Amino acid sequence: MIVYLARRLLALAGVLLAIAAVTFLIFYVLPADPAAAACGKTCSAERLADVRVHLGLDQPLWRQFADFLTGIFTGRTLGTGQYAVTCDFPCLGYSYESSLPVWDLLMDRLPVSASLALGAAVLWLILGLGAGVTAALRKDTATDKALMVGAVAAASLPVYFTSVMLIHGVIRIAGLLPYPTYQAFTDNPLGWASNLLLPWTALALLYAAMYARQSRGSMIEAMAEPYIRTARAKGMPERTVVVKHGLRSGMTPILTIFGIDLGGLLAGAVITESIFGLPGIGRLFYGALVNSDQPVVLGVTLLAAFFIVVANLVVDLLYAVIDPRVRY
Amino acid sequence: MTKRTQLALATALVAALALGASGCSGTGKGSAGAGAANPAAANDGKILGGEPVKGGTLTVLSNQDFAHLDPARNWVMPTMDFGTRLLYRTLVTFKAEPGQAGSELVPDLATDLGTPSNGGRTWTFTLKEGVKYEDGTPVKAQDVKYNVERSFAPDLTGGPDYAAQYLAGTEGYKGPLQGQHLDSVKTPDDRTIVFELKRPVAEFSATATLPTFAPVPQTQEKGTQYDARPFSSGPYKIDSYDRDKKLVLVRNEHWDPATDTVRKAYPDKFVVVMGLKGGQIDDRIIAGEGADASTVQYADMRPESAPKVLPKPEVKTRLLAESQGCTEMLHLNNSRAPFNDPKVREAMQYAVDKEAVVTAGGGPALNEIATAYLPPALAGGKQADTLKIPPAGDPAKAKELLKAAGKETLKVSLAVSTGDKAKAEAIQQGLSRAGVEVVIDTVDPGAYYDVIGDLSTTPDMTLTGWCPDYPSGSTWIPFVFDGRTIKDKGNQGNYSQFRDEEVIKRIDEINAMADAKQANQAWIDLDATLMAKSPNVPILLERKPLLVGTNIAGAFGHPVWTGTIDYGTVGLKDPSKSQG
Repeated sequence: MIVYLARRLLALAGVLLAIAAVTFLIFYVLPADPAAAACGKTCSAERLADVRVHLGLDQPLWRQFADFLTGIFTGRTLGTGQYAVTCDFPCLGYSYESSLPVWDLLMDRLPVSASLALGAAVLWLILGLGAGVTAALRKDTATDKALMVGAVAAASLPVYFTSVMLIHGVIRIAGLLPYPTYQAFTDNPLGWASNLLLPWTALALLYAAMYARQSRGSMIEAMAEPYIRTARAKGMPERTVVVKHGLRSGMTPILTIFGIDLGGLLAGAVITESIFGLPGIGRLFYGALVNSDQPVVLGVTLLAAFFIVVANLVVDLLYAVIDPRVRY
Repeated sequence: MTKRTQLALATALVAALALGASGCSGTGKGSAGAGAANPAAANDGKILGGEPVKGGTLTVLSNQDFAHLDPARNWVMPTMDFGTRLLYRTLVTFKAEPGQAGSELVPDLATDLGTPSNGGRTWTFTLKEGVKYEDGTPVKAQDVKYNVERSFAPDLTGGPDYAAQYLAGTEGYKGPLQGQHLDSVKTPDDRTIVFELKRPVAEFSATATLPTFAPVPQTQEKGTQYDARPFSSGPYKIDSYDRDKKLVLVRNEHWDPATDTVRKAYPDKFVVVMGLKGGQIDDRIIAGEGADASTVQYADMRPESAPKVLPKPEVKTRLLAESQGCTEMLHLNNSRAPFNDPKVREAMQYAVDKEAVVTAGGGPALNEIATAYLPPALAGGKQADTLKIPPAGDPAKAKELLKAAGKETLKVSLAVSTGDKAKAEAIQQGLSRAGVEVVIDTVDPGAYYDVIGDLSTTPDMTLTGWCPDYPSGSTWIPFVFDGRTIKDKGNQGNYSQFRDEEVIKRIDEINAMADAKQANQAWIDLDATLMAKSPNVPILLERKPLLVGTNIAGAFGHPVWTGTIDYGTVGLKDPSKSQG
């Protein structure tokens, strides 16, 4: 187990390093020049050169990358003289746009994205697994067909469409809820939930549909296994057969995709956050992309990669919990 | 300049609506001016909501954070309005009045508009007594000098560069790091500041309205972090600033209205809520329920919202839509064929269907056709129309000119920012009538200005605009048409790569004029000369549609800051109805 964990952590570091390198390279070949963008409308060649030095863009790419990596572990000082700023560990650089540390920006927005992702995940697990398991247990009945037609329809709706329709129907026409304004859970738990209800629903509908289809297939497969037949033959109550033996086995593939989905969403749901005006990491990422704010784009990319890789690791470890046949 | 994204459907709706309301036909050949028939222009020059009552909280709903509130870095028109009206005062400012009167200069920190001497090469300003910062300490001339010097620091990017353009002895200067100061800015005492310039600058009083000429005490210096907490010399100070989320301003108790003839500072508090979706902002202000009645919007109302506003008298009375004072142009790459031929360029003036571009840009309610380069505010209130081309163009004349140039068929490229694709298609269709085939390339907004500003990647045609920094041709024509500004990379303004020795000579002559009135007329005349040379095609003048809540009073679009609400005089009808 320890060897397995160490190997996975090493791989995690390798993945993050590769992603950082690729993101750096992508920015290097893009035509956008952050120094020119920062310099202003009528920037002279001399001033542009000074700005490039200040942003560290005059250095060769490998040096910029090495400084970036060093900063993550030791922190670093950016700029010189009176205007020098210290970027503490773990330094992901400073935003070209806001001049704020990228790490602070990410941590400031993480609660919003995490609230959105976790709340939506609870919702889609309940809806998706509920529908999928019900459909599997009532295979080929009208209920099964109705649930799967509904799932196909929901999966076909892009999240931007669902979001806009929810805003239009629930807020503009029915007036049931105000436009979402994020409130911290610690400040107002009820306000937190009510403001996130629509974004949760928009995200959850899409994922629930996919999970319903996936879990139906897995459950049908699991329930056809010989050990299920054995359990039933031994007189085990049907509820125990389904929950203890069928569900545990059928959930293994669901857990895999859940890790990737949740990990990705923790680092921001760009479309949902943008449409609902939630100040999360996704919206930060979108703004940084539009403004060629390389340090922020790099920071969000690394955070997303980190979450996905860690979520996968956690999922792999959980296999052993839900499936006794798995050993590390 | 701010680009807006248009949706084709909404555009058609808006256009149809505006045309219907105005009773004009889509092929009318009359003047493109807004006129009284334009439903969006009904409040032009008006102050909405009457006289505000002191107190309450005024909320500004915004889709984004401010680019820079640091006065050395603030060079975005709406932010310049917000910063200079609420947080910091400048040596000179503009009157708080709608229409042309708003372009009038009035002293702010200074006792007058400055005294020129040495043939306009030296300008002296005396600071008023009793102007204080938020901590009660007096504003000193040295603080204005310090901020002017900060604007040279490569760390503090993005601000106006007029100090670098005009001040003498600035070569190689990189800001007040390690005690280096500019000798050309002198402060003989705490209340006197003297600027020595490279050449006569007749309108230096107007230059001194820029945030570069606001005070920053050296003791408050925080480098790039000053952006998040500028030290106030204006009527409000920052209570909290959660970047990209919320800014709260409360009264600066040390601001003395007796020293300030411009700002009224009616609300007790300003709250800027950021990161909201444009449609959401429009809907909230249109509905105007509860606290939303006491809100104004920072970014433009979306064209898609116009059908919810223009047909409804109650909502329409709450719409400001002043002209932004910027001209959007179809830049033609003068450096190579086919647009190095003046005849071909002239043909483009006639070939473009500006009416179609206006429709694609949100319709005539929100845009007007441009007939000259200089925006109306720099041309005595109305653009000249020297070529007298019909709004839909004259393809027959364009064909004639192309034939004369030996270019009866042409294939050219047009690069636009992704949000301007509808306009590009309208241009494409217009030019096709004259036998010009246009290949459209859309460029990501983040890379657009880098692509079109790089000589190696500049396409045949580009679409972009230019706004004056203050009402003077000197902030417009030299930026767009002076061939000496062309550089290999990072070109800004002269995207046509237009270089004409006669024009360059005339620019220098006008810049040397000591009489601002004479210089203004000379810029207008040069505008006509430029139209004859056709370096590019002026396309349209955008309006700035802004909705205000039902409890808002004293609101008008200021002509200098691209029609943004004057934050110095806006307030509430009934402060008790506001929240926060």
